[in-house]
Amino acid sequence: MRYSVMILLLSAAVLIGASMTGANYRDIFGKEFLTKPWAGGQVKESVCISCHTSDIIKPEYRDIPQEWKQSWHYQNNVSCKDCHGGDPDDAEAAMSPERGFIGTPDYAEIPQVCGRCHIGILKNYLESGHGRALKASKTGPNCVTCHGSHNIQKASIKIINEARCSRCHSYERAKVMKQALFLTEKKIRDIDEDLKRLKRAGVFTDEEDKTLFRTHVEYRTLFHTVNVELVKKSTDKFAKKLGLIEDKIDKTFRELEFRRNFSAFFMMLFTVMGIVVFMLSRTYKD
Amino acid sequence: MWRRIKKGLEVRIGLEDLVNTKLKRYTVPRNTNIFYTLGGVALAAFIIQALTGFFLLIYYVPHSDHAFRSVQQIMTSVPFGWLFRLMHVVGANLIVAVVFLHMLSVFFMGSYKKPRELTWIAGWLMLLVVLTFSLSGNLLPWSQLSYWTTTVVTAMPTAFPYVGDYIANVLRGGEFVSGVTLNRFFALHVALLPPVFVLFLVVHIFLIRRIGLSSPPFGEQTAGSGEWNEYRHVSYPDGYSFYPYFVLKELYMVLAYLVVMFFVITFVPTLFLPQGANIPADPLKTPAYIKPQWYFLAPYQMLKLIPNKFLGISIQLLLLAMFILWPFFDTGRERNILKRPLLLVAFLASLLLWIVLTVWGRTS
Repeated sequence: MRYSVMILLLSAAVLIGASMTGANYRDIFGKEFLTKPWAGGQVKESVCISCHTSDIIKPEYRDIPQEWKQSWHYQNNVSCKDCHGGDPDDAEAAMSPERGFIGTPDYAEIPQVCGRCHIGILKNYLESGHGRALKASKTGPNCVTCHGSHNIQKASIKIINEARCSRCHSYERAKVMKQALFLTEKKIRDIDEDLKRLKRAGVFTDEEDKTLFRTHVEYRTLFHTVNVELVKKSTDKFAKKLGLIEDKIDKTFRELEFRRNFSAFFMMLFTVMGIVVFMLSRTYKD
Repeated sequence: MWRRIKKGLEVRIGLEDLVNTKLKRYTVPRNTNIFYTLGGVALAAFIIQALTGFFLLIYYVPHSDHAFRSVQQIMTSVPFGWLFRLMHVVGANLIVAVVFLHMLSVFFMGSYKKPRELTWIAGWLMLLVVLTFSLSGNLLPWSQLSYWTTTVVTAMPTAFPYVGDYIANVLRGGEFVSGVTLNRFFALHVALLPPVFVLFLVVHIFLIRRIGLSSPPFGEQTAGSGEWNEYRHVSYPDGYSFYPYFVLKELYMVLAYLVVMFFVITFVPTLFLPQGANIPADPLKTPAYIKPQWYFLAPYQMLKLIPNKFLGISIQLLLLAMFILWPFFDTGRERNILKRPLLLVAFLASLLLWIVLTVWGRTS
């Protein structure tokens, strides 16, 4: 007993002693160990963020990283480089035109910048009244006019509202468009909610998510024509596509219901068996 | 037909004598409580894990490109694949709870004391194997949760100066968790750990049968008390027979275990599968919160509280060594913890500390 305690105390002393050596190693490690994600080394911080949150940048540009971190782009891994070009890994060449840096695009060029990813929308927008106005006057509404720049949120039907639209024209026409979009948008929102519920129930909905996303994008693209008649005409086609997703979701909910009932049956079966065995064991004891 | 099989076995292996000596005439103390059945429940839990694991193994693809998809196939396309997977996932957590309870009750009843030190050590080694099972199995679905909890856990050895990085690299098969890590953990989970566990199990059960079951230290002492200077088998001539009395007791506790398992599967199937478990692993996207499994929360929180990580891990390893070797420190003859206030307070304080650290780790 005495020797065991001595060995234990000695081991503790050796370990504590060893921990006092190599302080530099442990200091570095201590910083990385828990305060950051443990594999933090894998993800480099962009030099754009480093500069735009430091004192070397003008105060009006310092809020940009924070705005971006609240955006839909951030949630979908769209970062500074994707819109502004440049090299986020190299502080020296971060803003070099050779590395594709374009900085703040010209007002009239903004649709081209956004359109590098939102290809279908760009096409419809350019053919729309909005796009034609921009082309004609260089001051017509572009993407940023309705969606903002860094704090871009997931687009919804709410974006069409009197305050926003009446900055340029009367709300009447936009209101008719909103009404034409309403039912399909509601259906998309409902399906989205159902998919979230399925995810919470542990169902992997990747395929349905992608189909919904594609359908939604297609629908939104169509909306950017600002052509009410075209939207109304296409509503049936989209309703059919969304209906297929709804059928799949309903089937999955029914499957979950079956699973619940199935395992509940076994739970009750084991409960009854347990009670019977318990009572049997009591009789043997007696 | 049945009679002929029975007779055939009787002639060849002496079936009746075997049943009589090993089951019917083998007695257990009259005052055994339900905590005595936890070892049997843990064994049943292990068998359930092995069977459901075998089923999953048929459809699982141990490759980082296919692992997540194959698990989703099991959940959606394979007939009753969801049931086997959920039984395996819930069982993986319940088995840890059962083994913890078993160890606690053995400690509380002083059953680790001479001559049962080796039984205690074999039990501890089985607990460590169960935890390794859990760690390795956790990575196999290749989800965000599994990827990042493995990243956290495999970073822990780096707390050791000089050799830490090397150990982490060996575990991961490289600098980061990758497909190589998945292959290593898969091989460990299905090929190495099961025979190691069975080996310790055989040793554990052999020691229990060889030495004899200990009786609860509370109330009347029936057998096994007194000096222990030479080997003797502890038996209870006036006890209850192992079969049917104790077997039935074990059986209804195993059924209770299954009721708990199916309660979770019915009402909270995602209890051990939070949202990160449903997203494919993405090495470039660190989730905001990475939390280990509930049974690692206490050591995890302890690590967070101790500023020097090497010291933190060293203390944990020392505590582990102390628990495993505890029978050699606590050599007094008194088994009744209620008559040892200091040990009782230390036991309750440790238990309370573990609960507090677990809750703290969960909520912080």
